[in-house]
Amino acid sequence: MSWFRITLHRSAIGLPERTRGVLMALGLRRRSQTVFHPVEPQFAGMIMKVKELVLVEEVDKPKTQAELREERRPEPGFYLEKAVPRHDEAALFSSRTRGSVLAAVQAMESEEVRL
Amino acid sequence: MFGMFRITNPLSGGLLWKSPWRMSKFQKLRQRRRLRAVDSVVAILDAALAKQGETLKALERWKEEMPTEAEMLPKDKYTMFDRNAKRYRKSVHKLPKWTRVSQRLNPPGY
Repeated sequence: MSWFRITLHRSAIGLPERTRGVLMALGLRRRSQTVFHPVEPQFAGMIMKVKELVLVEEVDKPKTQAELREERRPEPGFYLEKAVPRHDEAALFSSRTRGSVLAAVQAMESEEVRL
Repeated sequence: MFGMFRITNPLSGGLLWKSPWRMSKFQKLRQRRRLRAVDSVVAILDAALAKQGETLKALERWKEEMPTEAEMLPKDKYTMFDRNAKRYRKSVHKLPKWTRVSQRLNPPGY
């Protein structure tokens, strides 16, 4: 059984009472709130009524509130970027040619270390 | 005529809201994105229901009648019919709540 993952993307402020009623019936109260409903014509019809306001995906199983929260958690840890040696920096700014600047930028990017 | 007490529309009439008569290229870009977003929602609904062998009258009707973003003419994406406007067309951003309603079809011939 598959499910619709429905996220309210646009607010229904100022829209007709019927539209807001459909959102209430879907269980969407605030923007970026996500609900899951089974793939059935009834729910498809409700989504059809508010298709301009929601983002929809088809998923295999619904997620709990805790799993949704976990999804939004940023990745732990941090990126360590090595400082570019001073003489290289001077070379980068003194050289006017585009190719050498690009090469230097690529070198800096490759030094980026993931911890 | 000039200076602090010149007669301008906001001074003589109070509140005046102006909106440009045509959309900027950025408004048009966002409008296209919104049209495509609605298209994708409809496509997802259709695919999900088709997998289960179900269908929906509203969905069938939408697919039958409504052009997708790629099928629409620029004229229909950015302007809409208005019987009072010059040459019967006004920019679609004059439509109330225009970013949250679907306005794709216009009377044939206009």
